[in-house]
Amino acid sequence: MSNPIADLSYRNYDGPLTSPQARWWSIARQSISQGIKKKFFVTLSLLSASFYFVLLIVFYFVEVLNPAQAPGDKNPLLSMIKWNEQFLNAFSTSQLWLLLLALLIGSGSIANDNRANALLVYLSKPCTKLDYLIGKWVGIFIPLAVVTAIPTFLFYFYCLMSYREYGFLSQDPWLIVRLVFMIILPAAFHASVAMGISSLFNQGRIAGAVYAAIYFMTLFFTKFMQVAWIFSFRKGGSESSGSQFVANLYYMSVDGLQIGLAKHVLGTRGGLMFPGQGMSGQMRPRTGKGLGGANAPPQMNPAELIPTYGSLWLLTAVYLGCCGLALFVAWRRVRAVEVIGG
Amino acid sequence: MSVVSIESLVVRYGSFTALDGLSCEVPEGCTGLLGPNGAGKTTLLKTMLGFVQPTSGRATVLGMDIRTKGREIRQAIGLMPEQDCHIPGMSAVQFVTYAGELAGMPSDQALRRAHEVIEYCGLGEARYRNVETFSTGMKQRIKLAQALVHGPKLLLLDEPTNGLDPAGREDMLQLVQSVSHGKGVNVLVSSHLLPDIERVCDRVILVMRGKLQAAGTIKDLKKIEGHPIDVEVKETSGAFVNALMEKGFSVQPPKGTTYRVEGPGRPEEVNKTVFKVAKDTGTQIRGLIIAERSLEEAFLEAIKE
Repeated sequence: MSNPIADLSYRNYDGPLTSPQARWWSIARQSISQGIKKKFFVTLSLLSASFYFVLLIVFYFVEVLNPAQAPGDKNPLLSMIKWNEQFLNAFSTSQLWLLLLALLIGSGSIANDNRANALLVYLSKPCTKLDYLIGKWVGIFIPLAVVTAIPTFLFYFYCLMSYREYGFLSQDPWLIVRLVFMIILPAAFHASVAMGISSLFNQGRIAGAVYAAIYFMTLFFTKFMQVAWIFSFRKGGSESSGSQFVANLYYMSVDGLQIGLAKHVLGTRGGLMFPGQGMSGQMRPRTGKGLGGANAPPQMNPAELIPTYGSLWLLTAVYLGCCGLALFVAWRRVRAVEVIGG
Repeated sequence: MSVVSIESLVVRYGSFTALDGLSCEVPEGCTGLLGPNGAGKTTLLKTMLGFVQPTSGRATVLGMDIRTKGREIRQAIGLMPEQDCHIPGMSAVQFVTYAGELAGMPSDQALRRAHEVIEYCGLGEARYRNVETFSTGMKQRIKLAQALVHGPKLLLLDEPTNGLDPAGREDMLQLVQSVSHGKGVNVLVSSHLLPDIERVCDRVILVMRGKLQAAGTIKDLKKIEGHPIDVEVKETSGAFVNALMEKGFSVQPPKGTTYRVEGPGRPEEVNKTVFKVAKDTGTQIRGLIIAERSLEEAFLEAIKE
């Protein structure tokens, strides 16, 4: 017997409906919510911040094992630190993890919708193609940006409180602004490219595999260019003698573009943690003989190993070109109905 | 009042003309959109939704121009597409809630309403299951639920009984009938299944090669020109037929014991004459009704023209 109280017949909805404009936020919110619930999201996020944990541990041991000689003195190792470089190193180390995060949350963003015909649902509601694409883009961009931003700014504020006497603020007062731009770089790139590739397929896994293949193939290309750089460097004996063309090509990979641009944004050529230990990015002429004597193996200069700078304009153009092309592909591919020209 | 008004609408896909100067009105209530495969039914629905831009002509949906008010139209209507469609990775209730939010409902209202329409569509506790695990019948129901969640004024149903078993089909038709009668929801059902249309719709629009072929109430479409009547007799009788023909009637060969008779004059006069002839020839009349075509006959006749 049916319950006399429960009216299960159809009733009209007469509640509020918001304006049909700007529906992209609903899509972005949903994409973010689905993305961060994925199984390995937290693990990958923590791994992407791993370099900051390493830095904190190193700083702790530096303070404990190599303290200042007298009260009021500065810790000699901490005094050597170039703070911008620490952020660049952390950024470079996080690239692979950010790619995996992008694959996790971005590769299926449109591909899975293609498989499930979800576009018909989206576009039959008051959403436009632009709303859909913006929503999906923001749904990848925000998690990636937040995953990069949280450890970066936590580390920034920790250093601000702990290492001001070591030049943390005085070395670069605008560091925080630079960091904001640095954080945007991978998030915007991965959001655009992952979305563009995703729109080409009906399976998120295939889209993910294609993006990963592009990443590793360009990485391989980078390694090839690194060898070419070392040869050109050794031939001339200085960085300026290395081919600028090869140096630019060295940055033509998914993470190379971002690291290259991050170097410009942070205003550093990169270097190791304690530059004073003879491993800084500063130029030292190669003698052909090792510092340890005639028989010692020749010491490698970091500038010899890695082209320290790519052309800002070229990197920016390629970065924007890749993002623009991916977004264009997504724009062309997303449609509610297949319209076949007769 | 018309919920959809279409004037000389032309839609072309390259050189192929899908809608060729179509003009029609969709009145309030439940209307069937009929036509053979490739007639332009789905194109018409897509054009109304703004998925396809018309080459020329004009159309309004709920008083809003399809060229300029796409978003507003889509907020006021619900589409149940022909193909399976869902948002991957969501349970039924999440999916319908999300559909409500996309339509502009506040989150709390969307969730409440999602439960309501899912219950109405008969999905019960399956609402917590992932939509990808649903059977065909359940997928049809969830598509109806997502189309209804925001309380549309016009519901577009594209082949709503596609792939359903007889019981599922019956349930779906009952749901559509219940929504479209007395609930303030206008429904446009596109289908080539004539029994389904006949069951739930009051009116039909028949489209053929992108043009309007016929439109009107189902009753009118089934009417036969000249008001013939079906006369059911106890036993077939040659004398009865001959007597009618002598009076200028045309009599078709019997189907069982039923003659289709058409005579000059008004229906009342024809009936009177038939009864008189039956009395004179000793024929017992068991039934007499105004003859109608089946919707299928009307459809076939219309597409032949």
